[in-house]
Amino acid sequence: MSEHSCLVVEDSPMMRQLLVFALARIKKLKVTEAEDGVDGLRKLAGGKFDLVITDINMPIMDGLKLVKRIRSDETHKDVPIIIITTEGSQEDRQRAMALGATAYITKPIQAPQVIAKVKELLVLD
Amino acid sequence: MTDDDASQSGRPASDVPLDLLKERDAFVRSFLKKGVEYTEQLLRENGELREELELLRADNASLRTQVASDDAIRELISTVDELRRERDQLVQRSKKLEGAEKEQQGRQAKIEQEINDLANLYVAGFQLHASLSPRRVVRHVCDMLGQLVGAEAFVVYLLDPDTKRAVPIAHEGLEETPEPIAEGTGPVGEAILTMLPRISEDDLHGGSLEDPVAVVPLGAEGRGVGAVSIVRVLGQKKEWANVDHELFQLIGHQAAVAMIATNLYEPEKGPQESLRGLAEKLRQ
Repeated sequence: MSEHSCLVVEDSPMMRQLLVFALARIKKLKVTEAEDGVDGLRKLAGGKFDLVITDINMPIMDGLKLVKRIRSDETHKDVPIIIITTEGSQEDRQRAMALGATAYITKPIQAPQVIAKVKELLVLD
Repeated sequence: MTDDDASQSGRPASDVPLDLLKERDAFVRSFLKKGVEYTEQLLRENGELREELELLRADNASLRTQVASDDAIRELISTVDELRRERDQLVQRSKKLEGAEKEQQGRQAKIEQEINDLANLYVAGFQLHASLSPRRVVRHVCDMLGQLVGAEAFVVYLLDPDTKRAVPIAHEGLEETPEPIAEGTGPVGEAILTMLPRISEDDLHGGSLEDPVAVVPLGAEGRGVGAVSIVRVLGQKKEWANVDHELFQLIGHQAAVAMIATNLYEPEKGPQESLRGLAEKLRQ
């Protein structure tokens, strides 16, 4: 039975699948996928999550707006949020952190980096 | 000589001259005095000797203790030497174990990297062929370049069979719009014509549209149908990783095939209709 649940919000199916692949290596972690910010909010409304991983650049609702919405949501306002950015987009990263993101991961994504960050935030061995 | 002595000698004491008596008394007194003095000296010397004897006894006891203490020290030194040898052996074993642990960690990191690379290749291949939309296939190629390879600026060209010019169908991170390139012209045109990739190993950040850091021809059935041109990579990327070359091969051999498949697919007919006649073709 899963002890933790994680929501992955990423518009690129390839990146989403890569993240899911990486997270599958963490025991007792249930992963839910969302295609963009709006889909992410829908999924958040339908359940309780311990962690959110979101890309910044997405259509319909980007990662920055999603971070802002999550922080104003009573159920998930304290949930840790990891944002995915590129090395060059320092401004986006700073804005996301200012809006309440907990940590960030830079692209290209490396599975060990993702696993380590998730374990750190969920306090797993 | 006393009167008794005198009487014993047969002569009365009164017969002894007075001087002699006096002399005799003086001698006796002197003799006795000397005897007393001698005795006192003997007693004194005896006392001194006793004191010396006590001192010698104390010294002896002290020396005995010291000898015992020296033995204990020798034993301790021997124990310390043995412990030192044991410590050295333990340090050596610890160093060996440290080395083995580092080797193990290195091996584990290598395996992790390989798993990561394989996952990237699997996902890239899976996604490339998971869609029947040409737009999505091109998007996947762009994702592979941007997200997996770490290309910051790149162009995807397709060869127009009529004009024999490579036309840009997608690009990212460029300040200027890329122009079509004639087959056989420049690095991109040459790669399409020869089907040979051109990948620079030097400066991955100083490329341009005319002189990109990597050009990978897109081919099918051994013929060039397009190319991917990487102008610049992300700042943190200093060199190509092994998996990048694998991804280049994957893109080069499969992107065009996926594009051809999606181009032949007619969404209005749907997947079942699109497979009509395939069984007959397989029987031929």
